[in-house]
Amino acid sequence: MVHLTINGQVVQANDGEMLLDVIKRMGIDIPAICQHDAVEPFGSCRLCTVEITKADWDGWKNYVTSCLYPVADGLIVNTHSETVNEIRKTLLDLYLARHPNSLFVRKLAAEHGVTKTSYEEIPDGDDCILCGLCTRICERMGFSAISTVGRGHSKEVAPPLKEAPPDCVGCLACAQCCPTGHIKFSEEGASRSIWGKQFEKIACSKCGKLTITKEFADSLSETRNIPREYFDVCDDCRRKEIALTMGRLAQWSREEETV
Amino acid sequence: MKSRLVVTPNRCIGCRTCELACSFNHAIDGKPGRSRIFVMGGGFKDLWVPVTCLQCDDAACVKSCLVGALRRNEETGAIELNQDKCVKCMACTAACPFGCSIYDSGQDQVVKCDLCGGDPACARFCPTKALEYKPIAQVKPAQVKVKAVG
Ligand code: SF4
Ligand code: SF4
Ligand code: SF4
Ligand code: FES
Repeated sequence: MVHLTINGQVVQANDGEMLLDVIKRMGIDIPAICQHDAVEPFGSCRLCTVEITKADWDGWKNYVTSCLYPVADGLIVNTHSETVNEIRKTLLDLYLARHPNSLFVRKLAAEHGVTKTSYEEIPDGDDCILCGLCTRICERMGFSAISTVGRGHSKEVAPPLKEAPPDCVGCLACAQCCPTGHIKFSEEGASRSIWGKQFEKIACSKCGKLTITKEFADSLSETRNIPREYFDVCDDCRRKEIALTMGRLAQWSREEETV
Repeated sequence: MKSRLVVTPNRCIGCRTCELACSFNHAIDGKPGRSRIFVMGGGFKDLWVPVTCLQCDDAACVKSCLVGALRRNEETGAIELNQDKCVKCMACTAACPFGCSIYDSGQDQVVKCDLCGGDPACARFCPTKALEYKPIAQVKPAQVKVKAVG
């Protein structure tokens, strides 16, 4: 257990926790867009930067990404000092130049008082801020279907050789977690398409309701040792089935009672 | 784990008070959540079955979650879903053999019974004791262990 001061308030934290975890727990709002609890912190967006110091640092201060900075005894943290706010504004100013068409970036920047970039805009800039959350999540799920390819301005997230990724199962986790909504997918009837690959969803064998993709179910069944038949019936019909099974038992005990 | 949620269908009168209690107890910013308990027809006249998560021992939802968002709370015995870890892949909703891991479209999140952190609202409000949260010692052995058999 360690004790530290955040924005003037003394708080307790567990050893090994990151500053950002404590800041969030206190309900303090700072932007931290490349962070997701399903994966290890990565430190790429830098928006979670905070100011730290200690009583014996002689007024010396440091600026660190709170998602990657472990808590320590006696740390004095300021999440919104003047310098921190300036750093965030500068970052958002740069993001705005690189992604002038991203609604997400524009909204976040505006929330921090940046409505126009002071740098040269990249007019056709896309929505991807290259935070790598999608690739890290896909890797965490065990698929590693996509990765960051290229360098400098041509750097982007893509499947290998930019062809339909053989290892993608169409679970949509990447798209669900992308902070900017850059990853597009489409659904039409039972088919789903993402990263240029086509998938077919499972239709419940009782009612036809569409659930996860066949590829995802096959993979889960194989790697997680879950009977494949579990995935053939949807949740609604499962509940109906169990109600009827329990109903039969209940009816049977009712009859027992009356004879 | 000290207690277990025990369901006695023959006492259920189909009033759906448990569903309401569940919804309201899982409200976010005043917006009710989707009920994690379902009052279903039992297939016979005047027979209802409140269907809810059995917190299985070898749970299919836990096995299906590739990011470790589902974990048992050893205190309450409930398998809890950590929203900050969930990547909304829907694997658990497809894997649960009882259909008790569900998508709440209103709150846009995957949800399941968490035994309300150890004081289940459904049992508290059930007027007929069809739902009871009982100390393990008072539960019949047959009701204690549950395995996920589909
Ligand atoms: S949809 Fe494909 S690329 Fe995206 S996380 Fe799932 S497996 Fe990976
Ligand atoms: S596609 Fe989205 S999640 Fe992936 S790196 Fe780009 S912004 Fe991040
Ligand atoms: S939907 Fe969430 S809790 Fe369910 S398996 Fe996927 S990540 Fe885990
Ligand atoms: S959340 Fe810390 S650098 Fe992005």
